[in-house]
Amino acid sequence: MFNQGLSLDQAPPISVVLRFFMSVPLFGLLLSALMGFAPIEILTPNHPLSLAAIHLMFLGIITMSMIGALFQMQSVLGGRPIPYPVGNGWIIHTLFTIGVLSLAGAFVFDLPPLFVIAAVMLGAAVLYAANLVLPLLFGGITHDTLRGMRLSLIALALTAILGIIMAVSYANATFSPSHDTIRTSHYSLGLIGWIAPLIIAVAFQVVEMFYVTTPYSPWCKQNVFRIIAGSLLLKILFLFLTLPYLWVFDMMVAALFTGFVVTTALRLRMRKRRVSDVSIWFWGMGIALLQLALIFHIGYLWSGNLLAESIALIAFSLFALSIILGMMSKIVPFLVWFHLSAQGFMDAPIMSNVIPQNRSKGVFWLFLITAAFAVISPLYPLALSVSGGFGAMMFTLLLANLLGARRLYHRTLTHGTRFEQL
Amino acid sequence: MILEFMRDDHRSCDCLYADCESALLAKEVEKGRDLFSRFSETTLHHFDMEERELFITFEKRTGMMGGPTQMMRYEHQQLRSLLESMKLALNENRFNDFFGIGESMMIMLQQHNMKEEQMLYPMIDRALGSDAQLMVQTLKAMDQ
Repeated sequence: MFNQGLSLDQAPPISVVLRFFMSVPLFGLLLSALMGFAPIEILTPNHPLSLAAIHLMFLGIITMSMIGALFQMQSVLGGRPIPYPVGNGWIIHTLFTIGVLSLAGAFVFDLPPLFVIAAVMLGAAVLYAANLVLPLLFGGITHDTLRGMRLSLIALALTAILGIIMAVSYANATFSPSHDTIRTSHYSLGLIGWIAPLIIAVAFQVVEMFYVTTPYSPWCKQNVFRIIAGSLLLKILFLFLTLPYLWVFDMMVAALFTGFVVTTALRLRMRKRRVSDVSIWFWGMGIALLQLALIFHIGYLWSGNLLAESIALIAFSLFALSIILGMMSKIVPFLVWFHLSAQGFMDAPIMSNVIPQNRSKGVFWLFLITAAFAVISPLYPLALSVSGGFGAMMFTLLLANLLGARRLYHRTLTHGTRFEQL
Repeated sequence: MILEFMRDDHRSCDCLYADCESALLAKEVEKGRDLFSRFSETTLHHFDMEERELFITFEKRTGMMGGPTQMMRYEHQQLRSLLESMKLALNENRFNDFFGIGESMMIMLQQHNMKEEQMLYPMIDRALGSDAQLMVQTLKAMDQ
């Protein structure tokens, strides 16, 4: 099994990863439009437009990019590449895209049949992906990052199953007495089980190795995913058994994430590599937003103030987006260079020529403004419209950067010079 | 045993490169050149330790001749080529090119190191068993 995992030939074609990444700004533009035109509705908890916006963000943007990154990461961190990446990538991307569009459309246009399509497509995409990747993560040598990836994918599959149940409820407009319990379990699994562990697992590798920092403590690496999994499991158990003191598990996870924020911030601050790099800015911004989300979530647990919970949710989603944008700013130029070099093109562009630094920085500054307006929007709802405007600019620039990288790749493929031609 | 020894060597190479970048950013060109030279030498020595001792022993023990170790050798060749390009850029004072190629080199090097640290070294530790200590002594004794 290891033989395959290390083969450069087994790295997925660049088109597989780019297909997922290029869908991100398109969903981002849809979300921005929704934020621009319906800020009040989006900020109203459980309003259909609010649910549409949440799913565009967490599925269309965050999960889309994380699945794309998984295709790339799997051969490096998981030890074994995803088999038949072109076909499998196409299947997952197509099902997922139709599913997200159907779900958002069902909420926005109040069309119950679309919920059924969304349930089938999203359920199929996520379960297919989990069934494809999870077996690759078991049976070989285990390490801390692998544990995080396992937890993430299991949680994603469970999130999808609960999502299917809820979508069917929306389609029939009949809600069981346990609907609220299922909904809380659904978003807890999605946020705490799927998104956070994958980012933490990647941070354990990327922060230490790419920015040359002191390593995270072995205790932290070994136990963080166990604690997250245990807290989630107990929280869901307590939810279904309607037991008290549910907040204890949220506090455990909040304490753990705060530890992650502090240790990561310290490492980035004390890093040995001092080269100015936009990905560092995104990491810094991301962990600051995670801390903000934790503070407001604790505030909500203490006060029951829904505004605090809205700010917490917005900040958490922006934390994930910040890390994703930082990752894209590195991985896309690297992949263009890597695939061209591996094919022997002597004029493969260096990374800084694939996406110029000033354009990556442009995405960061627009993200900063978008995030600032979004975070204050529960207090000043019209700020969400402004955030949508800046978000549209940010996603347009991101799309232009990705298209530019893709164009450069294909131009070099067509007109470049290979070593063998000399 | 092998994992810890080789991982520490990876980290010391990384630190040299980070110091080299810092020196060049501070416009201390001669110091930067000297640090790059040390980084390049220690990285190439690390590749030599693997290719001349570690991989060969592992291949003999397991019979895995054309698998992971072969792919690591291939990646070493790519990294050697990148180090050569960086050296050329530095000698010709093309600092932007140096940093640009360096970014690709660093990502490639770290991906390579991740594969070794997460998978290959634990496999070698397992294959060598109690002989791992002796292997570390052999690797330490190799001249740089």
